[in-house]
Formats: sequence, structure tokens, C-alpha cells
Amino acid sequence: MIVSHNELVAVVNKAFLGMRRHCGEADVIANMVADLQMVGLNGVRHFNNASSFLSFDSDCAVSITNSTPTSFDVELHNGSVACHLPAVLDFALEKMVGNKSITIQLKRCHNRWLAFSELVRLSAKGIACRAQWTNGTSPKRTLYVLNRGCIAPEVFFSDQIEADNPDYHSMLIELSVSDFDIKTSSDGYAIHIDSEELSRAQKASWQEGIFVEDNEWEALKRSATVFLVENSEQSAQGAGELA
Amino acid sequence: MDAHRSTYKETKLRNAEIVMAPERLGAMHQNRISFVRSLIRKMAHQQWQVTKHEWQLCTRGFGHVIYKLATPEHVYHLVVFCDEIADHERNDRVIAEKWDVTFALVKGDVDVNLLERLRANVPLQEAGRNPNNVLVLARANKSVRVFEHLVSALAKGQQPDPKELADVGYILRTTAVYGNGKFGIADFKLLEDNPDFNQSFSAQMCAVYMLREFSLDWVHFLAEQQGGEQAISLHRGLQRYLGVGNATGLGMAPYLINHPCIVDQWMTSREKAIGQVLAMPCDLQYYDGLRGLINKAICHLTQVITINEHQDLLNDKALAELKTLNENLWLMMSQHSNWSSLIEQTTTMSLEAQEILTSCLIELYPELVDEFENQMNTEEALSIPGGKTVQDLLNVLEENYRWAIDADYSLAENNYWFWYRSQDKEEPRLGVRGQEQGEERELPLDIGRQVNRLYHAISACPAITSLAEFLLQSPQYRAITRRVWTLGHREMGDIQMNVLREDALPMHLLRCKLAIFGATKFDPRSDRWVRVTFFQGAPLLDEINDDNYMDTWIFPLMPNQDEVDRSENQPIAGGQTL
Repeated sequence: MIVSHNELVAVVNKAFLGMRRHCGEADVIANMVADLQMVGLNGVRHFNNASSFLSFDSDCAVSITNSTPTSFDVELHNGSVACHLPAVLDFALEKMVGNKSITIQLKRCHNRWLAFSELVRLSAKGIACRAQWTNGTSPKRTLYVLNRGCIAPEVFFSDQIEADNPDYHSMLIELSVSDFDIKTSSDGYAIHIDSEELSRAQKASWQEGIFVEDNEWEALKRSATVFLVENSEQSAQGAGELA
Repeated sequence: MDAHRSTYKETKLRNAEIVMAPERLGAMHQNRISFVRSLIRKMAHQQWQVTKHEWQLCTRGFGHVIYKLATPEHVYHLVVFCDEIADHERNDRVIAEKWDVTFALVKGDVDVNLLERLRANVPLQEAGRNPNNVLVLARANKSVRVFEHLVSALAKGQQPDPKELADVGYILRTTAVYGNGKFGIADFKLLEDNPDFNQSFSAQMCAVYMLREFSLDWVHFLAEQQGGEQAISLHRGLQRYLGVGNATGLGMAPYLINHPCIVDQWMTSREKAIGQVLAMPCDLQYYDGLRGLINKAICHLTQVITINEHQDLLNDKALAELKTLNENLWLMMSQHSNWSSLIEQTTTMSLEAQEILTSCLIELYPELVDEFENQMNTEEALSIPGGKTVQDLLNVLEENYRWAIDADYSLAENNYWFWYRSQDKEEPRLGVRGQEQGEERELPLDIGRQVNRLYHAISACPAITSLAEFLLQSPQYRAITRRVWTLGHREMGDIQMNVLREDALPMHLLRCKLAIFGATKFDPRSDRWVRVTFFQGAPLLDEINDDNYMDTWIFPLMPNQDEVDRSENQPIAGGQTL
């Protein structure tokens, strides 16, 4: 299925609004999904996965722990990264004033892929980002590196897990006013998706439309119908009488 | 000499409380930087060429037609499909499934494969899928009365009764004109670097203007089919008087609420244009011009027919006030040093009359005003800068959102309506809270109520609390905070309307957007649904470069019967000729 950007954003927006959640901003999340989908990183699939679980999470504010001038932990209470990351990053940037870097550990969180869009925005503001997490299924480890001013990240995957007791529900985000060394950062990662490739995919999505797998699109559209109200005679009059 | 040199000087803008009040938005009229006006100027200045490319209609007028549009930069085609539908299928609401005419504006050429794809999808509208070289997807229904009257009269070699046309003002009435990525067509982003259509809604306006030409060609074609050599061409003045109708319902209202930066930009550009004009001296050399325009507005209002009693009363009141204004105009202009001062003296007039006067004044100063037609686009991002405190946000709220924070949302009247979308083609509707089903799926269009809640929430926080910290702990307020901060730092900001309030009139929102587009002849069919006309009075395609017609069509007037009677009837030229 080829869809337009506006169409994709509108459908995600409706789907998220239909969930009637306390936390999370529909327009921001819609752009997270679209940005990820446009570079070919399955934004719609990640959102659809998230949708299945959003109704089970705590839908409450995050808690900040272990705060130091250069780091802090965020307890998401099984919440989605999509719903909290923008506010967490605003908070992190304020803490960065006076420091050149900060490390954020997101704990008990889901949908880490959806962080992509917000991190790209930060790099456009002159903040370099490095984000990594471990997953229960392949690819086991994922790393984004987005140096300052980059419009797409270098993405790395590995199926080798280094820790003895890997935490499958956390995400480490490092922000810095200096660029990260990509070679050192990606040591141990076997697969590399070049930022150029992502940029090409994004450009093609604008020019030719955005490719979304048919089943994912259908699932998304179904989610977007949740907020629709059943038709009735009385309802039909709610649009105004016809002359 | 630089022809595009800006003449802009910083001037004081009217207060947002005045400009963004719903009642004033609901009294707006077309002006010279409305989208239809700027499109026609651009087409004229750049000598855009429109030609009939294919005319494949059967003798009954069904089939397809293609018009080619050539600009200095690109080639486009308007592909029009005409289908036979039963009278009972002709419905202006979004829930309709068949239309007399469906059409698409396509960038580039239309080969056989593309034509077949369009034929299979364009008539389906929302239910079809079109490629992203389609810029605009739209549909229209006939005014059956005007259509049949025109064809019948012209076929007999007679001019139609102008009064029959005046009642309606168009042959075809669009019921939706989609752009910007709707149903898979091209996103507006693809047009950002296209000098032809890089202004928002310009592609849609162009498609509608070309449809107007088609509507005239269509009746001429059918008149010729019926009358043969006896058939005549419609009097050019009457052709010019026929625009394209439009039926707009509640669906337009959420757009204005969900795109606040765009609305602010439109209103700010208009206010800057007004500000430039109001700073000018009341030079008596403008007396004749202004008086003429006000007279034109008076005649126009006299000719506007609406079934809506309230609008009719407003029109009558404005008529009387404008007549009085014209009688005293010389004296008033002599007494005031500049237009701003004169305008202050006219604030006792109704909003309709005030807005008409504003549109007339803008018309006098193209050299000051026209540059703003290119300042209608804007970024839509809503954001909060770092380093702000709760006190900073309180300041923004108290300065810009008194309309929302002073309202008492514990009163039922302030929460009377809820907005929702129906399963019926997602049509936006209004329901009465507590009485109708769907309240739990209410659309978040309640900006005033959200602002009010935000205000009370932050008022309970220490003023020095970091805003970032507050939002981390109260994430439910982040979206409205982004909006308030962004709009609170723009010139006009949010529309100052509680759309949940019992006496809120969505019509004000519809009128605002339609006036920005350049609609005329506002004919509300209810408080949620309005018929208007676009391009009424606009030059015909072959006279677009004629200074007598190109930019003189504000407040369109019907030619009088004598004028029609005096002119010699002309044979139909090119009804089906390519």
C-alpha cells in the first residue's frame, strides 16, 4: 500500500486519540510513526504493536530517580517511550545546561523504536545522540548514533548479547554537545544501516508515497475507527439539516 | 528596478481580541489577498494557458473531458468525469456516494493508463485510491434548476432570465475539494518547491476555477446538442456572473481548530495588510474609488439571496449602514487624518458593514497589500522553548487567553456540545452532552476548556517550577501547553471561541475560512452548513489578462436585463471544439 504523509499522520492521530489516554500527544506520536515509516524502519508496525499493549500500561507520569548533574533514570511504569520521551528530553535538555553531556536510562519502557523521530529533532538542534537497547527477539541489540546536524542516524544491529542478565525493557540515551565516535560506538555490532540509505528512503517516500505493508495499514485503519460514533437518525442531524 | 521590492512598514495591528472574536470572523468577506484573487492575478501575470485537451462527452453530456494547464514551469491536466445520477442520489453532504461531476488536477501528462486509473477511482472519491501525481481530488453537483434553465434557453437561441441565475449564482457546486495527501494524492510538501502551487490551497483554487470554465463549456455543448445552429452562447456578463458553488458543513470547523498556526498566519497577514492601509492618510483622491466600491458592495448585498433569515437581517442592516456611510463619506474623509481614525468612527456599524468597509479599503492600495498574498504559508510546529517556568506560562495565559481562563466551565452552558466523528464516512457532528451518544469519543476541539484546566493546574504550582518538570509530572497538559506557548507568541493566536458553548456558532468558523479562500454570497442553510460561491464575477479564461476584468471582481454584480437585451447574441464558440 502506498499512502501519503498526511494520510498516515491523520490515521495514527485518530488511532491514538481513540485510545483516550492521559499520557502522550497524538500529533507528536503520529509524526514519530510517519518519520520512522518513511525511512523504511516499520513505524506502522511498531505503532500497531504498541497499540496492542497501550491499554494495559499504567498511563501515569514517569518517575525520576538517581538524578545527578550528568545522568538520571526514568521509570516509565511499563509505559510507551512514544508517550513520554518528548517530555523526558525537554527535562534532560534543561539538566544539560552547564554540562556538555547527559545520560538517560529509561526503565520499564516499551516501543523504543519510536524514539527515532525525537532524537532526529535533537540532532537538528545541535545535540548529538546515541541510543541503544536490548531486545528479547532478533535483532537482540540496536544502536542509533545521530551526530549533530545529521538528518538520519547510523543504525546498527547485533544478535550478540554481552550482559549476563540483559534488561529487555530499558533504553539508554546519551546526549552530548560533541559528536560520538561512530566506529567506537558500533564496536561489536554486525549489521549497519547507513544514514544515507535512510535518507534515500525518506526522499523516495516523499516523492513516490510511503510504502506500508497492507496488513499493517489495515490494522492501523481499524484502530483509527475506534473513536467513531455509531450512526443514528439523531446523529445524522448533528451535522446540520440539509436545505 | 526591483518589481518585487517590499513596501512594508511596521504598523500597529489591531488587537487579537478584536480580530479573533468569532462574531467578527463570522462577518468576514473576500478581499484582494483572498486565495481566489491572488490565484487569478498570478495566472494573468504569468500568462498561464488553459486549453481543452480532450472532449469525450456523449450527446447527453456524460463521459470525460480533459483541460490542459500550461504554466511557465509545468504542465497539468484537469480530468473531469460526468456521470448520470438520479435526483435522489444528489446529496451535498460528505456521506454522499455519487456526484454529477468528479474531477482531479494532475501534474504532468495523462496517458491512457493513467486516464483509466483515474476513471476507475476519481468517481469513487474517498473510496478510490489515486497516485500522488494527483494534486486535487474533488466532486460537484449541478444546480439542476440553473443547469436546465440555461441549456433550454440557450438551445432555443434565448438568453436566460438573469434573475433565475442570481438566485443561485453557479452551474456546479463542489461538495468537497481535497488536496494535501488526502486519500493517497500528493502531499502539500511536494508542492513546496513548485512555484505554481506553493501557496496553500492554490492548487485546489485553480482546479475549481478550471471547473468553472468546464461548467460553462458543458452547458454550451448541451445547448448546441439540443438546439443545433439555433443555439447561442450565454451573454459574457452572465457567464462571468456564474461562479462555482460550494456547500460547506461542519467538517471545515475542525480544520481551523486543528491548524491554529495556519489560521494565525492567514489572519496576521491580513491584519498586516489592513495595518498598512489604515496608516495611510484619508486622501480625498480616494473618495471616488472608495465610494464606488461601497456602492458595489451595496448592490451586491441587494442581489444576494439567502434563505437564512438571520443572515438576511444582517445583510439588510449592513445595506442601510453602508448607504449612510456613503452619504457621509466625503465629510468623514475630510475630518480624519488617516483611515485608522475613520475606522474608529465606524465601529458602531454592524460587523458585516465594518468588514465590508475593510475589504473595500484594502482594494484601494494594491501596492501596499498584494505582497501579503505570498505570506500565507507557515510552519505548524507547536513547541516549548527550554528554560521556562510555570510563571512564564502563566504570563502567556493571562495575556492571551483571558477568553478561556475567565470562562466558568462548571456551568452546563459552557460544556453544552460535544464534537465527534460519525461512522458515516467520518462526518464531523455535534451532539448535546448528556443527551446523545458518543460523548466518550469526543474530539479534543475544546481548546478553551483545556486552557482553563491548564491555567488552574499551574496556578496551584510554585511559580518558579520549571515548565519541563511540571510537564514531566503532568503529561496530560503537554499538548495544550505547546499550543498555548506557540500561539501565545504569534500575532493573532488562537480563535477566541469556546466551541462547546451552547450559543457557539460553528458558522463563524466556516465563514472565516471561506472568506480567506475568497468566497462570496454567503447563504447559510443552517447554523452548521453554508452555501457560497467562488469565482463569481471572476474573469473568464480568455479575458484573464484584460485589466477591465482581471482584478475588479470584488462584490460581483449581475448584469442588468437591459445590458443583456442590448447585446447581440453570439453563436457558441467551441463547445466541443478542441
